[in-house]
Amino acid sequence: MRLACAGARRRPMTASSLPAPPAGVVDASRVDARAKASGATLYTADLQPDGTLHAAVARSPLAHALIGAVSTQAAAAVPGVVAVLTAADLPAGLSGRRVRDTPLLATGKVRFTGERVAVVVATSAGAAEAGAAAVEVDYDELPAVLAAAAALAPDAPLIHEAPWRYDGAVVSEGDHPNLQSQVDEGDRSEVERALAGAAWVVDRTYRTPAGHQGYLEPQAWLAVPSGPGAVRLWATTKSPYRLREQIAQCLGMDAAAIEIEPVPLGGDFGGKGAVGEAPLCVTLALRIGRPVKMVLRSGEDIIATDGRHPSSIRVRVGCDAGGALVGLDVDGLFAGGAYAASKPIPSVNLHGVADAALGYRLPCFAIRSRIAYTNTMPKGHMRAPGAPQAVFAVERGIDELAAAAGIDPVELRRRNLLKSGEADAYGHRWPEARGVETLDAATGVVMTVPPPPGWLAARGVAAYARPTPAPGPTSLRLEREASGRLMVEVPIPETGTGSHTVVRQRLAGALGVPPASIEVRQGSTGTLGYDPGVGGSRVTVGMSTAVDQLAEAWVAAGGDGPVSVDTQPGDDQPALAYCVQVASVAVDPGTGQVKLLELVSAVDVADIVRPASHRLQIDGGALMGLGFALLEDLLEEDGQVWASNLGEFKLPTAADAPALRTVLVEGGTGVGPANVKSVGELTNVPVAAAVANAVAAATGCQLRQLPITAERVYWAMRDREAG
Amino acid sequence: MRLRAEVNGQPFEAEVDSTTSLLDVLRSAGLTGTKEGCRIGVCGVCTVLVGGLPVSSCLYLAPCVEGADIWTVEGMAEREPALVDAFVNREGMQCGICTPGQVMAAAAAARETLPASDGEIRRYLEGNLCRCTGYKSIVDAVRTYLGG
Repeated sequence: MRLACAGARRRPMTASSLPAPPAGVVDASRVDARAKASGATLYTADLQPDGTLHAAVARSPLAHALIGAVSTQAAAAVPGVVAVLTAADLPAGLSGRRVRDTPLLATGKVRFTGERVAVVVATSAGAAEAGAAAVEVDYDELPAVLAAAAALAPDAPLIHEAPWRYDGAVVSEGDHPNLQSQVDEGDRSEVERALAGAAWVVDRTYRTPAGHQGYLEPQAWLAVPSGPGAVRLWATTKSPYRLREQIAQCLGMDAAAIEIEPVPLGGDFGGKGAVGEAPLCVTLALRIGRPVKMVLRSGEDIIATDGRHPSSIRVRVGCDAGGALVGLDVDGLFAGGAYAASKPIPSVNLHGVADAALGYRLPCFAIRSRIAYTNTMPKGHMRAPGAPQAVFAVERGIDELAAAAGIDPVELRRRNLLKSGEADAYGHRWPEARGVETLDAATGVVMTVPPPPGWLAARGVAAYARPTPAPGPTSLRLEREASGRLMVEVPIPETGTGSHTVVRQRLAGALGVPPASIEVRQGSTGTLGYDPGVGGSRVTVGMSTAVDQLAEAWVAAGGDGPVSVDTQPGDDQPALAYCVQVASVAVDPGTGQVKLLELVSAVDVADIVRPASHRLQIDGGALMGLGFALLEDLLEEDGQVWASNLGEFKLPTAADAPALRTVLVEGGTGVGPANVKSVGELTNVPVAAAVANAVAAATGCQLRQLPITAERVYWAMRDREAG
Repeated sequence: MRLRAEVNGQPFEAEVDSTTSLLDVLRSAGLTGTKEGCRIGVCGVCTVLVGGLPVSSCLYLAPCVEGADIWTVEGMAEREPALVDAFVNREGMQCGICTPGQVMAAAAAARETLPASDGEIRRYLEGNLCRCTGYKSIVDAVRTYLGG
């Protein structure tokens, strides 16, 4: 019942035994560390200009209902309340990152529990909330569609009347009216034929729950009128330029009239790319002529923003008698929630599903990813969107196939992981594919944490491959301040990853000056060109490429500024980065409790710009993966989010964290002049499958649903005993 | 009612209701280093010291601190520069929103156990969530500060 490591090369390349950073790289402390540790850093919720009014929304208690009479008198009578508004009082524009399907306030009907129905503006946050609680709404309840499969049934109630008419829609009139988006790749009939001739086939369906990004800073907005029809906005956004565009589209404004101001984020993980209440706050500020601030309470943020899609993913995979994969079919079905607005990519889907076929040599494949409108909280992007779900399914499927074929699961992966120069399932040839090296590095680590006496113990492995993107457009500006210090202005907020420190470090290296002589400042959207925002694991590769161009321009200008660069995509090619994790778990045979004792993350790297930031991305990702594996579930049932606060929606604590062991597989070829492979969205992905595979090895029970709670394991063990 | 207490070693007065939280009192007074997180006493983001003990200021009613000795991150950072240095040098943060609470928990830990093992530090920090770091660098920072 233990994961066999026979034949694996021992490569004890732990992070602590790594050689020193390359010459010229000074690993100075973070630019923002001292201010953060002393409480001086101001986040959006900390800002409050004189005369600020506070907004709060009344939210729907029902998942699907027609809105009848709305009575605002009681709300208006609450002391301090300045205005109570419903959809009828506001512009009719819709907002979204691609599909614009979300009204400022629910119009005609509500589509999920927690949807905003009315907004109250008051002189204090408390008065606004009291006002919101006093808004009376008559509802005429409609049948709610809560699960994706039910939503796509032929006679399902309609959530939107004509979703194909929304701007940016990727569905057409012939599609099921509850379809948000669909991605279909590969050739399913070819897979059918291949599996029919396979020696071993598994056909399993895996399920993962709705989740939340779990950032600890609730979303917030502060809109301040700055002139006729113009506004300045501080927002918990990771994509200022895109948010400006989205607000302008929604409200019919000129984007130049909106300035998104710099402010750090208290965590993001994908959740802070949403449009959120930004257009509502902007329109309120312009209408009332005073600053309007809205700070979500944590519980509101959890039930009503843009969490992780729950999934049901069917995996069919087969191999020949020698253990070579002959075909893979991944068919994912996701409940997208009431609005599609939070998904930014052109497909309005989750790229992680299509990426789940990247890591292996596959003679044929089929990938389908369908997202349905459902009467649940709208779902968006969360750290490697779709990949944690799809990789959980595929890597469980690979393990179940190994068990069926009687092949060691590590060996089955070793035989099938893509090698350098081979083409992936889509036909893209990767000059470098170091899956086997990464697998060997992971399985070669000697794990030492013992299980509690009497517990069942075993290890499980899982792999993930993700492209590091080529650098995209961004803009930077450098000037010398009167004090003599260099000031570099960047277009992205510091979300926590250390991006501003990476910029300083790269620039210091390029200019040959001490990092301490450079200040990094986020510019407003009024001062720099364009940047698509933080996301897609593109920041370090994109910023370091742009910084190098900035340094060249600075030198060309004689070392005197100011100089600006607006970079465009060059001819850099993406690179493939692997992450292989080994989970060592113990299972209490009496209760089913699973304890993750030790987690090895082997990460395929090229050069590392800033080792301290790189390591934290690895560690933090691994622990987020643990949460997905063992703890986190919004418990979306009956149209309600039952785990509606951080007491119920459990994030891993310091005491939950296992021993995190990192192995860097060095010497890779990365992207751009900095020669880097992305790391921010790797280690959160394979954990859940590695843990579930280990639980299967320890107990003989195939857990196919997350999170792996004690109850699920307990009943799986009892069912197995009962035969 | 009028609240009189001592905050960061200085006399402090504020007009409060019986249901006002200590968190709201502090933030209204401009002490925004103390952040609002879950508001149900789970996440630890709003941790301050009352009489030397760490409390979730979101659940601590203002009238209960009448006459108390209260410390927030702003005051603690001035009083204990070594504490800030430990978080800076060990990179005990990423986004920073939980950091004031972690710093205050570390300050409280220093009163109780010296020096502490990693396991003890982890148990002590159980009430202070961090979504970014994976905790190791925070534990390192606390251990450094405690002299471990």
